This record gives sequence, C-alpha cells and structure tokens, in this order.
Amino acid sequence: MMNIPCPFCGPRNEAEFAFGGPVKPRRPDPNATSDDEWADYLTQVPNPLGPVEERWWHVKGCGTWLSIWRDTRTHDIVEGPGNAD
Amino acid sequence: MTPVVKGSDPDMPYDARIDRLPIYALFDLKGPKEALAAWSKDTLEFPNGPSRLKRRGSAALCHIGPNRWLLRDDLQNEAALSETLRPQDAPAEISIVRVSDTQTFFRITGPDALEVMSIGCTLDLHATVFGPDAVSYTEFFGIKALVLRCEGGFECAVEQSFGNMIEDFLTRAMA
Repeated sequence: MMNIPCPFCGPRNEAEFAFGGPVKPRRPDPNATSDDEWADYLTQVPNPLGPVEERWWHVKGCGTWLSIWRDTRTHDIVEGPGNAD
Repeated sequence: MTPVVKGSDPDMPYDARIDRLPIYALFDLKGPKEALAAWSKDTLEFPNGPSRLKRRGSAALCHIGPNRWLLRDDLQNEAALSETLRPQDAPAEISIVRVSDTQTFFRITGPDALEVMSIGCTLDLHATVFGPDAVSYTEFFGIKALVLRCEGGFECAVEQSFGNMIEDFLTRAMA
C-alpha cells in the first residue's frame, strides 16, 4: 500500500486515489515528425522498469489531479507530487 | 435511526453512540477565496488553511479542496443563507450550489468513537494529527465521506443514497 502525497491534503492512503495512467510524452508536431515516430506516440505507453511519471486523481479526497514519479520495482515514490493539469 | 448505544447491549465491544443526524443546510462554494469573500460581502469567515474549518455560531465553513469550501449550517438558516449568497446570481468566476439534501450525516461519540471510526476510515484521526478544526474528505467504509470532529467524537457525511448502507455498517461495527 502506498502513501501518496497529495499537495492539498498531505500523505494519504492509496485507496483514496484513482490511477490516471503514466504521463505521456508531449504531443509531437505531426507535420515535423516521421510516420514511425507518430505511430510510436499514438500507440506506445511508457512502461519502464524503474521510475515512471504517473497521474493520480484524489477522487475520494479533495479531487486534485497530481503526478508523481513511482519506481515500478519497489513502489517507492521517488519524486512528487507535481501538478498534472 | 434509533441511536446505537453501548448501554442497549452489554456485549457491545465499543463504548460509543451513533446518531443519524437531520439534514443540514449545505452550500458548495467554488472559486477564488477573495471573489467568494467579496460576493458574500465578507459574511463568510474562512478557515486558516487546507483541510480546516471555521465555526461561527451554528455555521461551519470547511476548506475541502483547492478553491473549494463547504458551508454547513442548521436547516432553518438555509433560506437566509440563500438570500445572502444568491447562488442564482453568482458571477462566472465563482460557483455556489445548494446541496443540502445530498449528504447524510452521522455522529459517532463516546470514549471509543475513535476505535469505531478506525474500522471504516484509513485516515489517522488521532487528536495530534486530526485536531478539533480538522475536516477532510476521505474513504469511509469504501466510499467518499466528509469527516470532521465534533464535541466528544466525530461526524461524517456520505452521499445520501449511501446513508442506509453506512448506518448498517456502523451498526454492525458496534455489534
């Protein structure tokens, strides 16, 4: 069980949050990128063995969307929260 | 709801009392604090920080989220509050919505109130962490609930359609 640091409420139990998926890379300019890079952007979801930036919604709390860096090997929150807006 | 009290059953493990409270006047306030204060002509007394509440008379203003407050008062003051806050005329940068009939409140009091709350709530409600002016939305028996302190215990509010379910859970928790 993770203790996720909400910027408004402070550290809260993971059960109060809904997972919003990994933060995707910034949308490339479709006119300045190759077809392969564009297809990668559309279809590939970040799934590293290690730290990944994720969005979480404090749905049973204050309603804030936030982003944290979570290590997928240990569930340690290595950085965060950031503003996911 | 007939209040659940330890004295009614000597085998109850917890020395606490659970009451289902009548409807309160509730207003959901959203927007910048300064704009809300100006619109209410400074009749609202804002709490000091996040997850805090400020009581004035029978009213309590709860800071429940970024740029979001919940105003609670006795039901007989609802009309007067509506007249003061004028939800239908509020400017675009703020939102004021009367939500009085959307929440069901329970009061858990007594020496073991904390133990009963701990059955359904993951939040640390010890007095050193969750003080007398603390208020927060959190998880209570798996659903979103507003939790605050009251004299001798706690009050919690859930969406009204969950009221009967939470009443049942609390009764079972006391059994």
